[in-house]
Amino acid sequence: MAEITLVAEAGRPIGSAPARRMRHEGRIPAVMYGPGIEPLAVTVVGKELKAALTTEAGLNALLSVEVDGQSHLALAREIQRHPVKGTVTHVDFQVVDVNKLVAADVTIGLVGEALEVGHADGVVDQQLFNLPIKAKPGHIPPHLEVDITDLTVGGAIRVSEITLPDGVETELDPETVVVQGVPPRVAAKVEGAEGEEAAAEAPAEG
Amino acid sequence: MLMPRRVKHRKQHRGRLTGAAKGGSTINFGDFAIQALEPGWITQRQIEAARIAMTRHIKRGGKVWIRVFPDKPVTQKPAETRMGSGKGNPEHWVAVVRPGRILFELAGVDRDLAKAAMDRAIQKLPFKARFVVRPGTNGVAEVEV
Repeated sequence: MAEITLVAEAGRPIGSAPARRMRHEGRIPAVMYGPGIEPLAVTVVGKELKAALTTEAGLNALLSVEVDGQSHLALAREIQRHPVKGTVTHVDFQVVDVNKLVAADVTIGLVGEALEVGHADGVVDQQLFNLPIKAKPGHIPPHLEVDITDLTVGGAIRVSEITLPDGVETELDPETVVVQGVPPRVAAKVEGAEGEEAAAEAPAEG
Repeated sequence: MLMPRRVKHRKQHRGRLTGAAKGGSTINFGDFAIQALEPGWITQRQIEAARIAMTRHIKRGGKVWIRVFPDKPVTQKPAETRMGSGKGNPEHWVAVVRPGRILFELAGVDRDLAKAAMDRAIQKLPFKARFVVRPGTNGVAEVEV
């Protein structure tokens, strides 16, 4: 995986007010830490960060962060976002060793069309959107694909059925459901209505 | 309608509605969602009305998640009552919503239908809200600055 260069500036003032001012200027406060480096408060240009994290490699892109003339291989971690605007407010850069395994969450995408579920008016219910994996920084896949063409109503695709690339492993229970075919809503509604009636019969008392 | 089965205390203080949502501001289950843009209280009836508006528009298919629960009792004094004599009686239940809070999620339908259904549901809410899409899907960027 090719590295993406990102220039960071060290020596930023600490605190919420300076951080807010930085965000107004288009810079994003960040912190850099990892083996062989003291935790370092830095800032990056927002547009450059967006460009670095919207490549094919996605959020797990291997970054070459340049600080004070030194270059560190790092992964973006703990991307904090504004609750309303959704903009990035802070990023952690975890310095990594290319020869050591690191933990990462990889997006699971669905491919194909679940025709059988569609014919039965069912819903394709994706339950797992990210798979926690362990791999060397350069071998983290940008995303994983799950083919749902053969999915049926009542059927499920589990973690064990995902084909992981070489050098990638997951510690998640292989029986964990990734996606399942759910029957039409009518049946579920009857069940829900019974639950509502039961709740109405037992009003809340102190 | 949604309400707690049993509570420890029948009446609560009103509290303050300052700041933004501390949690529950990301889409966790579906592909589309309604996000609150203003603070407010949403009643159990409003939640149910929004859910019905959404599911009736979808007609069939789709799965809806309700991400708020009305666990706060609201009291009211009877009409034409003199002031005093203690706090009123619990009348209904509300969920406290701060800006950014995800209220409903939807999956299993295409974007246009989800938008239309959720726009109808937004009409039932007592504050401004908007339709949002899971980042990284449907052409929405994963990172915004």
